[in-house]
Amino acid sequence: MSDRIVQYSPSGRAGAIKGFLSKFLGYGGAQLGLLCLVFFIVLAAVPNILVGPLETAGTATGDFLAPPSGQHLLGTDEVGRDVLNMVVHGARISLTIALLATVISLILGTTIGMTAGYYGGRVDVWLMRLTDFFFVMPSFVLALVITPVVLEVMGRGREILGFRPSLFVILVVIGMTSWAFVARVVRSQTLSLKERTFIDRARVAGSSNFSIMVRHILPNLVPQIAANGALVVAGAIYVETSLSFLGLGDPLQPSWGTLLSLAQRAGAASAGAWWYLGAPGLCALTVSLSFVLIGNALDDTFNPRRRVIP
Amino acid sequence: MPDAADILRLESIKVHFPIQGGLFDRVLNRPAGAVRAVDGIDLNVRRGEIVALVGESGSGKTTVGRVITKLAQPTGGRLLFEGRDMTSVQGTSALRPYRHRVQMIFQDAYQALNPRHTVFDIVAEPLRSLRLVKNGTQLAERVSEALAAAGLNPPGDFVSRFPHELSGGQRQRVVIAGALAVRPELIVADEPVSMLDVSIRAQILQVLIDLRDKYNMALLFITHDLPLAWLIADRIAVLYLGRLVEIGSADEITFNPRHPYTIALRNATPQIGGNPCRAELPALQGEVPSAARVPKGCRFHPRCPLAFDRCRQEEPPTVEVGSRHMSACWLNER
Ligand SMILES: Nc1ncnc2c1ncn2[C@@H]1O[C@H](COP(=O)(O)OP(=O)(O)OP(=O)(O)O)[C@@H](O)[C@H]1O
Ligand SMILES: [Mg+2]
Repeated sequence: MSDRIVQYSPSGRAGAIKGFLSKFLGYGGAQLGLLCLVFFIVLAAVPNILVGPLETAGTATGDFLAPPSGQHLLGTDEVGRDVLNMVVHGARISLTIALLATVISLILGTTIGMTAGYYGGRVDVWLMRLTDFFFVMPSFVLALVITPVVLEVMGRGREILGFRPSLFVILVVIGMTSWAFVARVVRSQTLSLKERTFIDRARVAGSSNFSIMVRHILPNLVPQIAANGALVVAGAIYVETSLSFLGLGDPLQPSWGTLLSLAQRAGAASAGAWWYLGAPGLCALTVSLSFVLIGNALDDTFNPRRRVIP
Repeated sequence: MPDAADILRLESIKVHFPIQGGLFDRVLNRPAGAVRAVDGIDLNVRRGEIVALVGESGSGKTTVGRVITKLAQPTGGRLLFEGRDMTSVQGTSALRPYRHRVQMIFQDAYQALNPRHTVFDIVAEPLRSLRLVKNGTQLAERVSEALAAAGLNPPGDFVSRFPHELSGGQRQRVVIAGALAVRPELIVADEPVSMLDVSIRAQILQVLIDLRDKYNMALLFITHDLPLAWLIADRIAVLYLGRLVEIGSADEITFNPRHPYTIALRNATPQIGGNPCRAELPALQGEVPSAARVPKGCRFHPRCPLAFDRCRQEEPPTVEVGSRHMSACWLNER
């Protein structure tokens, strides 16, 4: 009998992942998006090695608003700081905020959307009302409401998880305003998944509702969550940039949006300092687009209509 | 007829699904009616017995199976398991002992398997959820035992595969392995072979018959195929539009049917050997009516070539027409 006992090794899973990767990387958009992303992640990972520590008005060496040259590849700002230095440091702030906000948004959106779709009835009605409320809530208004509260509670100079309070607010605001989109997508997918026969089989097998959600529904939501997660990051970059541009950022931890805001206030546009506005703007645009490309490629990869095996 | 050997008993089970009325109905506060999927059936299954539930598409076979496996709540009647009333038992933990003893094989084996789970996970799920194993070794032992019993040999070749890496027959065997892994006393098999080709059908049927012979497992075999029912079952129950029209031993129902519907089903399948049917009857006409609009009187009368006045007015009672042979037809009164 003992020779009949199986050795269970999840090698099939590895094969499935390999198949997924080869299909995903077959899309040109995915390749381009990943390439850009890797580039910016490297910038964000080691800014000090690449361009030295973040320059301040005190450590600035260049002329005021000097155009790009051999010494300052992307020119300088109104107090003589190197724009390249600030953009590279800004990558870290912008990407971290966008990714963390996306994590918040995915966790909230998936939990709420899955619970609403799975239980249905009154639970669904109330959770979807909450979702609709956050869906229409403008992020800027929410930021204006939350900022004073956080500053009051935390104190202006303190840091939360390594973020200065105003950046923490942006993080929370993006997380809170983008989960509703995820929740809607997840709910509708859950509604169709829960009618599948394998859910009935799990019930006959004695599995609890929690275990059915975690072991049966969640794994089948991964395609939607991944594809929409990439779109949420793109949106988060955009919202972060606009909130910072509107002055909610922190000059001591400048993101791309903060740089745009500084440039705007320094009159970069009227002074013809295109490098000062263009560099952070182009970065935000590129990263945002890369995530859209990746999201679309993920969607195509997982899209059941195009898959050979449903 | 209650019997101490009965493992399962259905007493006038009804499942009516409410119809969502249109806006017009709601404004006028008009009841929209109901789909009477199952409309009062009495059925018993004995320990180690194979009972076939035969009926056309839409007659309510799957719904009966879902009531027995506690996936659907009956709107009327009682469900008894070994004399215990299970009708209102609800909840994962309260149902655990029942699930341990009653399992189901689903109609569509591909739909019944989570595409993201391996065969091992699928077969192990009831063992884990019902807490029937103490450790990983025991789990692996029970899983390979179940796979082998379902005819997936050697089990080691299949455990780490995903459903899409299996053939239709192998998938159905995985579903069967999952059901028998917990060593249940009753399995509801919902058209387990209707999606398979003929050569694999015989093998799967053999697996089910072996289970009964080896473990004295009872089986409610749902099918639309009368010859198949005769082949596998000890008794056959014929379902028409949510009601049982005839129940009896497989031979009685096949070779001595008393209800015009059964006779028509029987005549539609000339390949059954043996003596010809007692009654000659023209072939069935028309379609099965919708379960939302069940005809008045005998629900079969619009399609019955022998229908007379009484059939259009009153529903016939189920009466004994032979030894353990029941039929619901006004002709039995004559
Ligand atoms: N959840 C539901 N809501 C409303 N009506 C339903 C529901 N489930 C089943 N029905 C209806 O109940 C009737 C019986 O359905 P059921 O699935 O039990 O038939 P069946 O005999 O298994 O048919 P088949 O051979 O096609 O599988 C059908 O008219 C069907 O439309
Ligand atoms: Mg069915």
